[in-house]
Amino acid sequence: MREFLATFETFFNNAIFYYALFVMGSYVVLTLLSAIEMNGYMKKNSYVNYREILVSPLAPSVSILAPAYNEEATIIENIRSLLSLHYGNYEVIIINDGSKDSTFQRMFDYYQLEKVDFAVNYQIQCKEIRGVYKSKLPSFSKLTVVDKVNGGKSDALNAGINVAGKDLILCIDVDCIVQEDALLKLAKPYLEEKYQVIATGGVVRIANSCKVEDGKLVEVNMPRNLWPRFQVLEYIRAFLMGRMAWSRLNGLLIISGAMGLFDKNIVIKVGGYDHSTVGEDMELVVRMRRYMYEQDRRFKVVYIPDPLCWTEAPADLQVLGRQRNRWTRGTIETLWMHKDLFFNPRYGILGMLSYPYWFFFEWLAPIIEFLGISIFILLAFMGNINWEFSLILVSMVYFFSLALSTVAILFEEMSYQQYTKGGDLVKLLLAAFLEPILYHPLTVYWAIMGNVHKFAGKNNWGAMTRKGFTEKKAVQEAPTQTTTI
Amino acid sequence: MNFFQTVFNYIRETYTDRLFYFPSNIRISLLIILFCVIAVLELYVYISFRRAQQIKRKRDEAKWKEYIDNMLANLVIFDESDSTEDIVAHFYPKMSKLPLRNPIVNEVLTAEILTYHKNFTGKIHEVLSILYRRLNLDRKSKKKINNKNWEVKIEGIREANEMRIKEMAGEIIKYTDDENSLLRMEAQAAYIKLSEQYPFRFLDRAQERILDWHQVVLFEIITKNKQLSIPSFSHWLRSSNDTVVMLCLKLIEHFMQFDAAEEVQRLLKHHNPKVVKKSVEIIGKLELADAEKHMFEVYFDQPEEIKLEILNSLGKISSGNYNDFLSSRIYSTDPKIKKEALYAIKRNPEHGEEKLREIYKQTTLENQALIKHVLDHRIKP
Amino acid sequence: MSKILIAEDEVLMLKALEFKLKKDGYQVDVAADGRQAMEKVKSNTYDLILTDIMMPFVGGMEILSYIKNDPIKKNTPVLLISAVGLENVVLEGFHLGADDFIYKPFNLNELSVRIKRYIKQNVF
Repeated sequence: MREFLATFETFFNNAIFYYALFVMGSYVVLTLLSAIEMNGYMKKNSYVNYREILVSPLAPSVSILAPAYNEEATIIENIRSLLSLHYGNYEVIIINDGSKDSTFQRMFDYYQLEKVDFAVNYQIQCKEIRGVYKSKLPSFSKLTVVDKVNGGKSDALNAGINVAGKDLILCIDVDCIVQEDALLKLAKPYLEEKYQVIATGGVVRIANSCKVEDGKLVEVNMPRNLWPRFQVLEYIRAFLMGRMAWSRLNGLLIISGAMGLFDKNIVIKVGGYDHSTVGEDMELVVRMRRYMYEQDRRFKVVYIPDPLCWTEAPADLQVLGRQRNRWTRGTIETLWMHKDLFFNPRYGILGMLSYPYWFFFEWLAPIIEFLGISIFILLAFMGNINWEFSLILVSMVYFFSLALSTVAILFEEMSYQQYTKGGDLVKLLLAAFLEPILYHPLTVYWAIMGNVHKFAGKNNWGAMTRKGFTEKKAVQEAPTQTTTI
Repeated sequence: MNFFQTVFNYIRETYTDRLFYFPSNIRISLLIILFCVIAVLELYVYISFRRAQQIKRKRDEAKWKEYIDNMLANLVIFDESDSTEDIVAHFYPKMSKLPLRNPIVNEVLTAEILTYHKNFTGKIHEVLSILYRRLNLDRKSKKKINNKNWEVKIEGIREANEMRIKEMAGEIIKYTDDENSLLRMEAQAAYIKLSEQYPFRFLDRAQERILDWHQVVLFEIITKNKQLSIPSFSHWLRSSNDTVVMLCLKLIEHFMQFDAAEEVQRLLKHHNPKVVKKSVEIIGKLELADAEKHMFEVYFDQPEEIKLEILNSLGKISSGNYNDFLSSRIYSTDPKIKKEALYAIKRNPEHGEEKLREIYKQTTLENQALIKHVLDHRIKP
Repeated sequence: MSKILIAEDEVLMLKALEFKLKKDGYQVDVAADGRQAMEKVKSNTYDLILTDIMMPFVGGMEILSYIKNDPIKKNTPVLLISAVGLENVVLEGFHLGADDFIYKPFNLNELSVRIKRYIKQNVF
């Protein structure tokens, strides 16, 4: 037995070592790719004058879709800032998703709405639309309000798509702060790529402790609270490094639900957002990609690294945990719904690279990490631990992640440099020190809980979004319990 | 103190005497740790160095910008009646005393002259152009154009473009078909403004694609520039480069060039659906009634998108010849086709809406809803 | 002496306009961005306001709509400077009560004549 444990311990150490080496290697590759892509993007775009696209009648037209559910406190302000974006040909569609508060009444009064005889073409399934409203005032002619029965975010977006009259649709969270030039930057790829662009995604930045006036970001500050500060670091890493690299490979799978610009026709062809998953933003992109492969059409999903959209990150651990739990479940659901993509050469990069990456890194990594720690504790109890070796292995992972975060901060410094105050920069660098010890274990825990909830069939947080469950999807999705690990 | 001493000694030993006695994976881990620590330290040094440099540069720039701005803003105190030569003679000595060898001063001065030049017209315009040359800034622009980096080339081209340095047109045309799309576009944009005789010559030789984005930019330049003599763009409609055809179609539409009517009609049979769609749009916009029958001929072979466009154009022309065809579209299974056809019927200024009300009385509920939608003036099609 | 506010985010332009109007004999107040302009507009009265449409944070349109909705200040002429030739921007501006549009690039002397006319109109 002792002998077996000793062998197992060596094996365990080796396994951790090689796994870590593999993961770190992938990160190094992704970092290099993102550096190349970032460099190219910055170089190219320092010569662009966005004014032309602003005034041109040839620019693509955009419908902004913003679902609102119980947003009475901020809805008027939010709409006003959406109406003042810098872009020529666009409309704003607010979808009141059966709010229980006075969201609709406030819009109705302030914008002097009246019902119009809109014949909705239900190209995509959605809950009943009770009415389509326009403002009586000519200065708000860009605004349309859709009032519908509650069905969750995906359902509201689908209703918006049915009403949208322009070529592109921008799906956003109504409460995020959109930079004025966001549309110009997101729309540009549609005019310049060799292949058809089906979607462009923007960066999400964290607005905690930033100064906001009249719905506009006036001053960028580092969040005072520690948890949002870790998220700043996390977002910089994810957006400037991860997504940039995937964009380079044309294998980007996720466009943040907070801001994405899509080709409306393709979205309609694939059937819009899926009501049955809590990860609808990722699922849509996967489905759109898959459709394009099946049609044998060359295409691109483009990612714009400019800070275009700012949102309040959860500062409360419980809320944050719930968000991460939902993200994990979204990932699992999306992966399960498209399981036939796994190493399927028919789907090119999507099948051979993006999907497996998400499978191994986004879904499996926290589980492996959790198992590793559990085994370690078990071995420690049995007294079969070489503490020195373990310490060295752990240090390796720690210092690697520190180096990775520091490189990410360097990227931010060299590109957008949003945190101009010296003190903020130091705070960010310090956060990189603490993050692997304080924040990372929590993210692993939340991911595990997400798995537990998913496979134990607890869907308490997804209650609202599950309302629009359609029969067809139910058959396609319904994960069976046998898939539990 | 003792504790740190111990830790330090431990680390030293680990990396010296003991290093070769570890199993290979631990040894590699140790090396990776070492590498990461060094990398992080170097990054800190680099980041702080960068910040410090940036602060210094910003300060210098602000200082010079303020100084140069004050100097340039004084240009406005002259009247339109003063002689250009007098104004130049007044400013040149001051400006030539600037330390132009300092790259920051040079950059700021160039940028500010360009901004000024871009925003004002009249005497100031002229004075700035002369000063630019006197200060030898034009030679620097020329040097930039011949630099081997495309970014620098673009800068030079932009300067030449803004300051109207016409003699550089010959230099610039060779980049109008460059492989680098950004350089290509800048060169095309500049060439249009700088070439005196034949600003659209680059279209004859364009092999590379003119991206949609660049079409936007060129379109802006061509349509906003009042001094430009506009040729008949139908000349390039037979180009083998589809993007050239597209650009010319957009321009034909904007300038309402009726002489292109026949060529545009011919393009209804073009292999590229984008070209077909645009041609249909132009036929509608220019209300080319002769083309109606050709659109009708091709209608049934087209994808939905172009069908919609054809219906729209038939509506714009409203000759009355295709009223029955439009009315019969409401039996289509595609709601988009129906809606577009209804809008087309409504477009007829004399009895469009009346006709819709007539149809309303004898059609399905679904169509009635559509007709109400179409008749609602608050909804924009 | 008539008092004019200029709001423009391009420093050189702001300075040139300031010099020109001072030379024309007006009392000139300047704002380098929309927020400053808004503060000044709220706490002072001017005989004319010249503002760029596109400025960071607060645009010229917002300043315009503030002025035209203020019962006391609503007669102050507002001239909008715009590089944008978009019909709907211009339309929106006129809807909100803009007195005139100035398109970049423009002739300073022409601008000075226009300003003189608006100020005269307001005096009588």
